[in-house]
Amino acid sequence: MRLSYQWLSEYLDLPPVEEVARRLTAVGLEVEAVARRGEGLAGVVVARIVASERHPAADRLSITRVDAGGEPLQVVCGATNYRVGDLVPLATVGAVLPGGQRIEAARLRGVESAGMLCSARELGLSDEAGGLLLLDPGLAPGASIAAALGLDDAILEVNVTPNRPDALSHLGVARELAALLGVALRPPPAAIAEAGAPAAEALRVRIEAPERCHRYAARVVEGVRVGPSPAWLARRLEACGVRSISNVVDATNLVLLELGHPLHAFDLDRVAGSEIVVRAARPGERLTTLDGKDRALDPDDLLVADRDRGSALAGVMGGGDSEISAGTRRVLVESAWFEPAGVRRTSKRHGLKTEASYRFERGADPGMVGAALDRCAALIAELAGGAVRPGVVEAHPRPHRPAEVRLRWARVEELLGLPVPGDEIRRILGGLGFSAAGADGEGATFAVPSWRQDVAIEEDLVEEVVRTLGYDAIPETLPRPGLDTPAPTPESVTAARVRDALEAAGFAEAINFSFVAPAEDAAVDPGARPVALRNPISAELGVLRSSLLPSLLRNAATNLRRHVTDLRLYELARAFGPSAGSGDAPVLERGEVAGLLLGRRSPPGWAASGEPVDLHDARAAVEAVLEALGVAPVRWEGRAEPWCHPRHAAAVVGEGRIDVGTVAELHPRVAAAFDLPRATFAFRLDLAALGALAHPVARYHPIPRFPAVLRDLAVVVDEPVEVARVVDAIRAEPLVEAATLFDLYRGAPLPAGRKSLALAIRYRSPERTLTDAEVDAGHRRIVARLAADVGAVLRG
Amino acid sequence: MADLLAQLEALAAAARGEVAAAADPRSLEDLRVRFLGKKGEIPAVLRGMGALAPAERPRVGEVANRVRDEIEALVDAARGRLEAARLEAELSGAPVDPTLPGRRLLPRGHRHPITRATEEIAAIFGRLGYEVASGPEVELDWYNFEALNMPADHPARDMQDTFYVDAASLQGAPREGAVLLRTHTSPVQIRAMLGRGRPPIRIVCPGRVYRSDYDQTHSPMFHQVEGLCVDEGITFADLKGTLAAFARAFFGPGTRTRFRPSYFPFVEPGAEVDVSCSICGGTGRRDGRRCGTCKETGWLEVLGAGMVHPRVLANGGLDPARVTGFAFGMGVERLAMLRHGIDDLRLYFENDLRFLEQF
Repeated sequence: MRLSYQWLSEYLDLPPVEEVARRLTAVGLEVEAVARRGEGLAGVVVARIVASERHPAADRLSITRVDAGGEPLQVVCGATNYRVGDLVPLATVGAVLPGGQRIEAARLRGVESAGMLCSARELGLSDEAGGLLLLDPGLAPGASIAAALGLDDAILEVNVTPNRPDALSHLGVARELAALLGVALRPPPAAIAEAGAPAAEALRVRIEAPERCHRYAARVVEGVRVGPSPAWLARRLEACGVRSISNVVDATNLVLLELGHPLHAFDLDRVAGSEIVVRAARPGERLTTLDGKDRALDPDDLLVADRDRGSALAGVMGGGDSEISAGTRRVLVESAWFEPAGVRRTSKRHGLKTEASYRFERGADPGMVGAALDRCAALIAELAGGAVRPGVVEAHPRPHRPAEVRLRWARVEELLGLPVPGDEIRRILGGLGFSAAGADGEGATFAVPSWRQDVAIEEDLVEEVVRTLGYDAIPETLPRPGLDTPAPTPESVTAARVRDALEAAGFAEAINFSFVAPAEDAAVDPGARPVALRNPISAELGVLRSSLLPSLLRNAATNLRRHVTDLRLYELARAFGPSAGSGDAPVLERGEVAGLLLGRRSPPGWAASGEPVDLHDARAAVEAVLEALGVAPVRWEGRAEPWCHPRHAAAVVGEGRIDVGTVAELHPRVAAAFDLPRATFAFRLDLAALGALAHPVARYHPIPRFPAVLRDLAVVVDEPVEVARVVDAIRAEPLVEAATLFDLYRGAPLPAGRKSLALAIRYRSPERTLTDAEVDAGHRRIVARLAADVGAVLRG
Repeated sequence: MADLLAQLEALAAAARGEVAAAADPRSLEDLRVRFLGKKGEIPAVLRGMGALAPAERPRVGEVANRVRDEIEALVDAARGRLEAARLEAELSGAPVDPTLPGRRLLPRGHRHPITRATEEIAAIFGRLGYEVASGPEVELDWYNFEALNMPADHPARDMQDTFYVDAASLQGAPREGAVLLRTHTSPVQIRAMLGRGRPPIRIVCPGRVYRSDYDQTHSPMFHQVEGLCVDEGITFADLKGTLAAFARAFFGPGTRTRFRPSYFPFVEPGAEVDVSCSICGGTGRRDGRRCGTCKETGWLEVLGAGMVHPRVLANGGLDPARVTGFAFGMGVERLAMLRHGIDDLRLYFENDLRFLEQF
């Protein structure tokens, strides 16, 4: 809401604008900006051109003599659109124009010039640069241009929250300020002169939907001449961001900004049957609104109709047929109270947000219907001539009854932690228009003023009290300590450990939007049926991701395009699925951590090898996560998801066959879809599975008291034999404490399809020092078992 | 006998000269072997003792022992000298290049600044006795709006442009009411009250929220931390004290807070909370110039808060006549921006490594 300081000043005596802004903000009407309109126009005055002659040394210049209130001045000028006697703006010596130009006494081609005559553009008033700005001949030479043009004003940009429709007008804000400052309010004039035959002879009004329209009041103004508005009115509207249209329409808008009540003016000669019916739209009915759009109406839309058809979408916008035009002679002025939710539904349905709908949907003041009508009719008669016919024609099926709210004095302290005496409360609320009835020692019942329909319960009154007192008055305390100290939730422990582990493994955390392009989601999992948005920002952000991978792949591509080529990224967030979630969550939300590796293994440096990452680096990161959570044992199985290279993938399976996730090289087609190189590696792990398998509190195992015996073993096996099978066979020997693969070799002299595995085997007994003979026997059993189980032969 | 004694003295004299002249541990060891080894010169002399009369043997033995001890001492002393010289030489030798970077096998990892800020906020409230709660990001209209005192056709819904889920993309019968992406973390208030059943309730709920607004200063997804404290006798003064404590913990000990009346449908009374500008210290000026962060006001708007609306308590299954509570919510992106001096919201979600690795 844009408020004119000058306009507000008509209704009460105001402190300086900065103080007004501070006080309004302090009571919840936040002033976001104060714009001074005349800024940069100091030193620019009204001047009358009293003489003009050609410059002797320059064809395009003239030498003028101007009267700017004091001694006549000589000014050299380049414009030609004036005549002697015209009033124009003169920037005097010392003025600095809005564009930054400083005016100095100058000699132009040998002639002294004591300032500059200005165009509208030079004054920053408009883009009009085609000559001097010609001023209203009634102005006094020497007067400040800012005052002459009504620009010595400040505009307050107020952020009015949806609960305060009463503050969407100058009078409303003035009322609030008057209560705050303790000064008298001077409301605008209410007098109206009537003449001619009663209005009721010219118009009938009927309401068919009383639940949607509690009151409809109309006046008739006859004999008007529609024309442009006077300058003061146009300027006043423009100051508040409203375009001037004609004197009649501008009168309705002025009253809207003044009193906050939306009004509408119809051409009464185009109201068929001289009848207004407020009714629901009929099936199939259409209406062309003032913006020229032909609209199909919904039976939930409320119409202001004449005998034959709709004339306006009630409370939202008028119709083109009954619009005020240059030829309008008889005006019907409408002032009504429409039910907020209905206006909002129509406004939303038709995508039509107007000054009227904005106020009605927040709740117009039912007490203002009559006053606004009188004020507007009188103003039209004043501006456009004509006479207001006697009487108001109205239907008023639902009279407004003020709400009554009881406030217990103790409740104020209960909520605020600040005792406020009952007298003080009554004084504050009285100032805001809440009159107390039935006060006693414990509290009072307050009648809510008609403009404050947001106040309905006791707590609302407490807010009125505290926003007037100011929150600074409330002390700072802390709630008494609880009886228990909350433990961190398992989910947050899992998430923190996963993050720590991946960051220790060199990963940077990414955070991506939860929505992705459908094609990206499908590229990673063609079988997924992602949850779709009805109103996405764009198709590229159209579905909720089924996995975090599409986002990370896109991040990798973005980084590569920016020449960032070594990447370890992860994200920990929720992925979404179309089935219902737990509790009454509407969709399945699955916690996931996903990672991506690309480029070189180590940061570049003098000691770095520059080797590229491979699948085993990705697996190491997954192992780090599993270890950090104490997830053991797990099995690694050669299974691929659709995004994986089918042969370069491993699925992680925990105890009880719980699927934990997958680590893999990207499928070449997926890599290509995201413009990524083949050697891109990724993993995704399910957080719920990790949480279920985690042993976050480590169990102590005694440190061995007896020495271990170390034996190496090198065996040759067929290529498909998995390392885990060899290790499992070795660990089946009771005295074996650990078996670690330390070399993997393929190539000559081994035949193709064979590989050599070298393992370090650690034997230990918890009870005694082992003898060579015991270890030798164990080692022989291992060799025999490997030969039998996996066809291994000792490497000689 | 005199002959043997002369030989021993001669060996001692020779050893004194040669040991003193030995230049390295190796030649010193050679000397020790030559004089004292099993086949060395002193034992050789002693082997001649067999020819002596028994009465002479103690005298020769005594001299031989003295000479042997002397030579051993000489060798030990010389070894110590050489070792010290060698260490001295090493310690004054060529230095390493102190500017040579360390050998990094892995890059350092980086937590996203949003996560860092979220964790810190949760930790501060953890110390105040709050536990972390969570709720779905895809919500029912009832939890996101209706239960929070924003019924259908309420103009306050305009404050939050909402993403709706296409019901056709869901499996199974669509539930009553629209399915949407939560526009704030406040629905977790309702879920927490209904889930816990009875006060005291003290929770913070960090999480992703979504609004259909995308430009330089609005992201369609961002992060909030919601807080809720419900018990008997909770007051606005408690809210003020709690948020003042939080602001000091997060922004620094000197931080001041300011409460201004404002409107959120789920609280009454409601407030916006400003903290003194962490960049200019609340003066509005920095290095003699206007502080761009607080636009010279000295204050930064960082929180919304208020006393939980009685209808919201009732929708959470609690009796508003018995308990009161406060709630607050803050935007994590803004707090992290202030903390790190980040000037563009979009950086958070581009995931350019050159941004991420600064944290």
